[in-house]
Amino acid sequence: MTETETNMTRPVLEARGIVRRFGGITAVDGVDVTVGQGEIVGLIGPNGSGKSTMVNLLTGELAPDKGTIRFAGKDITGVAPYRRARLGIARSFQMLRMFTSMSVEDNMLTATHIHMKRGLLSSLLNLPSARAEEDEVRARARDLLAMFELEQFAGRPVTALSIGQQRMVELARGVLSGPKLFLLDEPAAGLAPPNVDRLIALIKRMRDEFGISILLIEHDMRVVRELCDRVVVLDSGELIAEGHPETVVNDPAVIEAYIGKGWSRRAQA
Amino acid sequence: MKHLALFAAAIALLALAPVVLGGHGLSVMTLTLTNLVLAVGLNLVAGYCGQFSFAQAAFFGIGAYTTAIMSRDLGTGVWINLPAGIIIAGLFGLVLGVPALRVKGHFLAIVTIAFQTVVYLTLVQWTDFTGGQNGILVPGVGETSILGIIRFNVQSLDSYYWLTLALAAVAIVVAWRLVHSRLGREWIAVRDDETLAQAVGVNTTTTKLSAFVASAAFAGAAGALNAYTMRTAAPDDFTIFISSIILAIMILGGKGTFLGPIVGAFILTIIPESLGEFSRYKMLFFGVLLILTITFLPGGIMQLVRNARTRRA
Repeated sequence: MTETETNMTRPVLEARGIVRRFGGITAVDGVDVTVGQGEIVGLIGPNGSGKSTMVNLLTGELAPDKGTIRFAGKDITGVAPYRRARLGIARSFQMLRMFTSMSVEDNMLTATHIHMKRGLLSSLLNLPSARAEEDEVRARARDLLAMFELEQFAGRPVTALSIGQQRMVELARGVLSGPKLFLLDEPAAGLAPPNVDRLIALIKRMRDEFGISILLIEHDMRVVRELCDRVVVLDSGELIAEGHPETVVNDPAVIEAYIGKGWSRRAQA
Repeated sequence: MKHLALFAAAIALLALAPVVLGGHGLSVMTLTLTNLVLAVGLNLVAGYCGQFSFAQAAFFGIGAYTTAIMSRDLGTGVWINLPAGIIIAGLFGLVLGVPALRVKGHFLAIVTIAFQTVVYLTLVQWTDFTGGQNGILVPGVGETSILGIIRFNVQSLDSYYWLTLALAAVAIVVAWRLVHSRLGREWIAVRDDETLAQAVGVNTTTTKLSAFVASAAFAGAAGALNAYTMRTAAPDDFTIFISSIILAIMILGGKGTFLGPIVGAFILTIIPESLGEFSRYKMLFFGVLLILTITFLPGGIMQLVRNARTRRA
């Protein structure tokens, strides 16, 4: 038990003994990952170490060959992706995904359908109750767009925005869906340095103001160091280190995984 | 509100058509409005939800044969047969939707062609039930009333035209509400990115099925009424060629746009029917136009409209 693990309350996410094979290759080999309430956990590792496979297993796009995933106390191992989203798992994608024919605002609104209480029929008939709910959701979407400094783009086609801005839409959309856990798959990829600072601040706010627990896959070590309470390191599908970011990045096994054996000996010298 | 006023004005104008048009002109207009309902319906599944379908004429036929068979065997009138046609076509939409969930793109197109073919062959071969190649004669709508209050007699060409216009108006309003509801946004989400749709909590299975059902229900309504207008239901009105025409209407007008299939229906029904002597070549005309549109103007006429607007802005 590491120090942080004993400190945390009941974990939001608890993945135990996860195994996933693709033909003869074992992409994820008996990995445990837990994310505590309000915790920001980093998932790092060199390319091909199984991070993205792990994310897809957690969101349900892939099914594990072995192991169980518990979320908010429930076993969700065989549960479909859209149901996991409804239970409160939001995600962002390594390769940016947007509803490309929609406006920024409509992109946001699709994430709120899961919480709409008014039935489909009242939406079809455009009843006052449904309209009121839609207005309320729009107001919340506007507030979040303001937080992400996107409010002036609400009515624009989402594809008219820069990649960096679309990344922000992706985060705002995730927050709007009111998740308990947000899986961020390389959110800093392709961002200019000043935007990385903003991203770090925004992710902190997502945790502090919205109480969202976060699993962060990231290559930018500055982001990992500034945000993560705990880091899990994968290499060739196996968990090779876990702990506080500063401890982990100095771990010889981790250095070796990233830059190879020769280098690690020299780094230690 | 501006939309609603324009819509009401357009319907009022169309309602005056029998004043100026003769028998042939009015038949063409009735066909235009029928094609409009079919194309607006197809646009729901193919345009908004992104699920290609070559089977719209099959659902059109299922609606028509519902009217024909129910009139023949049960003696029911239009206010029973029309909703029955909608429901039965909708159920068959579900039948097509379930296998269609497993395939995408070209493979989905092939599945819908297969469905279209099976329905056509059933109509031709199941002679005892469908009347085979000769089809079934359908009595006129005759004297009827809405809830016993508004009484009218549907016999003349004019009255069938008005009835079809009423159906088209209702279809447009229903389609507008569908597309601008939560469900419509989910259809578009599925079309744009299925993986992302699931990630934000959209049940893509039921969303796709709902689009297939809605699309088929529109065709069922058109068919149930068209059987009265034509006074017959015969299999050759429900071939894959008709499906292709409806597809061409949607694509030329602009798939995934609200006005596209409406504009397309007027252009692609009225022009070929006005070719007179040359109308026998209309399939050639549709084919060439479809190829040209897909190649040079994939967004259809509505793309031209949009381009013109952005240039002005």
